[in-house]
Amino acid sequence: MKKLIPVFIILLACWSCEKERTYSLPQDTVRTASDTSAHVLAMESGSTPCNTCHTCDTPTVQNPCLIACPRDKSSHITSGKHAPDEGPEIVIIDQLKKLYEPVIFQHRLHSSMSAMGVGCSACHHYSPEGEIPPCRECHSEEAISTNLRQPSLKGAYHRQCLNCHREWSHDTDCDVCHLPLDRLAPPTPQPDKTDIIGVDHPTIHIPEKQIFKTPDENNTIVTFHHQEHVDLYRYRCVDCHRDENCSQCHEGVGMIKSFGDKLEMHHSPCSDCHNTTADKNCNFCHMQEESKGFTHDLTGWPLSRFHKALTCASCHPQNRPLQKLNKTCTACHTNWFVGNFDHSVTGLTLSESHEYFDCYECHLDEQYDQPPQCETCHDYDVIYPEDLPGEKE
Amino acid sequence: MERRDFFKFMGATGALLSGTTAQAASHNPDFDPNEGVGVLTDFTECIGCRECEWACKDAHNMETPPLESYKDKSVFAEYRRPDEKGYTVVNRFAGKGCGEIDLDVKVQCMHCNDPACVSACIVGALEKQDFGPVTYDAWKCIGCRYCMVACPFEIPAYEYDNALDPLVQKCDMCITRLELGQVPACVEICPRNAMTFGKRGDLIKLAHQKITENPDKYIDHVYGEHELGGTAWMFISCEPFEELKFPKLQEASVVRLPESIQHGIFKYFIPPAMFYGFLGLIMHLTKPKSDESQESETEVHHD
Repeated sequence: MKKLIPVFIILLACWSCEKERTYSLPQDTVRTASDTSAHVLAMESGSTPCNTCHTCDTPTVQNPCLIACPRDKSSHITSGKHAPDEGPEIVIIDQLKKLYEPVIFQHRLHSSMSAMGVGCSACHHYSPEGEIPPCRECHSEEAISTNLRQPSLKGAYHRQCLNCHREWSHDTDCDVCHLPLDRLAPPTPQPDKTDIIGVDHPTIHIPEKQIFKTPDENNTIVTFHHQEHVDLYRYRCVDCHRDENCSQCHEGVGMIKSFGDKLEMHHSPCSDCHNTTADKNCNFCHMQEESKGFTHDLTGWPLSRFHKALTCASCHPQNRPLQKLNKTCTACHTNWFVGNFDHSVTGLTLSESHEYFDCYECHLDEQYDQPPQCETCHDYDVIYPEDLPGEKE
Repeated sequence: MERRDFFKFMGATGALLSGTTAQAASHNPDFDPNEGVGVLTDFTECIGCRECEWACKDAHNMETPPLESYKDKSVFAEYRRPDEKGYTVVNRFAGKGCGEIDLDVKVQCMHCNDPACVSACIVGALEKQDFGPVTYDAWKCIGCRYCMVACPFEIPAYEYDNALDPLVQKCDMCITRLELGQVPACVEICPRNAMTFGKRGDLIKLAHQKITENPDKYIDHVYGEHELGGTAWMFISCEPFEELKFPKLQEASVVRLPESIQHGIFKYFIPPAMFYGFLGLIMHLTKPKSDESQESETEVHHD
């Protein structure tokens, strides 16, 4: 038995050695948003006023009324409200000025490009009304454990820039943006024609129409009247060009992609509005020859010279797709009555004897596009258009 | 030499010690892994700058060329694995990216919830910490390399070049940094926050949130959420993980059942005791009576 004692001592020593090597995590390394430790800290220090984080006076556990920052309830500014050239020309990002030359961000160049994409909100994803907060207002220098969704400032910048730049130039080297301090950089960027960063993006040519040849056996031609969709139907670029970035058009710097590969992509923008689910509707786009484009005659209601001057939306106010309207004049012109309608605009000035009749007395059943029925008042010897109720101009 | 010392202890304490170390090897099964820490890597955010590879070596005081040299993209030509000289590597899968780009995939130890390496380690050198990481204690390691065979992700690497004192090497989730309240070195240096460090439970929520919000971008699979009982390090991607050379694994933990049988039986030293008891019984029953008297005489002689 005595022999066993050293064995036990050694065993105990081993056991204690094993126990010695333990690891532990400091308590506040990770916190979930529901943890109160952050809250306790803020309250104890007394330096953080309640309204820094809460919108209401009495936050409760059920309704903490936390300030919505950044994404969950973010309000977006839209490119419709701001023209691309309203923003600053360049933005200097110099948080790392001790390590690198400041990054010169060509803001206007990028904002003009974003007009083809989702607009300002591509980068300014959180912009409450009346202000455009800088990135660092929400994105702190270190990622915070209570909001795992929110990248750090470094992460936010790099996600924003490199999303497009790595697709477009396949160049993710640091010195594309961060010039080393020892390299003598010009104080302001000099336009360099070989470098797209530094020159404005050339104006994007909006084609009038595009003609696609499809593999369809009989109806090979699809005509897309691009200009018509912009001018006539008032589509914004982003309605069709969704989430586009440089690489949608550019193969690489200065290389434009061939358009043919993207035909498939164009089916979806068309079919979103034009119902192509039924077979017969294929012919709406796929034709034997080039389509002539839209005229109002195709609807069976050729526009008069007055209506021609109007925009589509002034008669078809509802959203796309445009609905058929009631052809009766008074369906839209509800405020016309004897005395305020100048009949001479129709090309016929009414004689004094006809001036004071109600419209419907000659135009039966309010059919204003039909010839008037003279026989309701006159004998059968008075017939329109031989006999006129006034003078033709 | 440390290992040899350890062998001496082993020899001295015999089978009894093996019983206790087997128990020490398994972590506390009652602990909720979702309360531990982990990392979520979003492959779609990775740009293959390989700064994490440098940061990892730097944090572990390993030999490394300067950060500048990691710009070299020629290493992507061949598929690499983490080894004893680098606990993490980024591989590039050309043309596999979401849309127009290549997909860069960072691999390292997954820090399983039920690690097979820990289960396989006969001396408890590998240990699953309750708060997430799987750590390695070189002092205990006898160099059997069972962990390398056991790991489904082929992570533990062995210093075959080191003839005298070779160690098993693998990512330890920068446990020394974690103890100081810092995040792992690779997570910290990543310029695009492709990696998110946090509670495993929160990361799973975050991963699913990202997938639901961008169903076109991500495939609906959080690698490591369920694989082999779950891992602390998880991935989301825009390409199926099988195509990124990740093994397709079952959901159930492979170590739970064998561990519970082994640890259950060996608890309190039962099988050896029973075995020796059984032998003793046979000896007792088969002993001739004449021997018995002889033995009592010897005992008398001793006294």
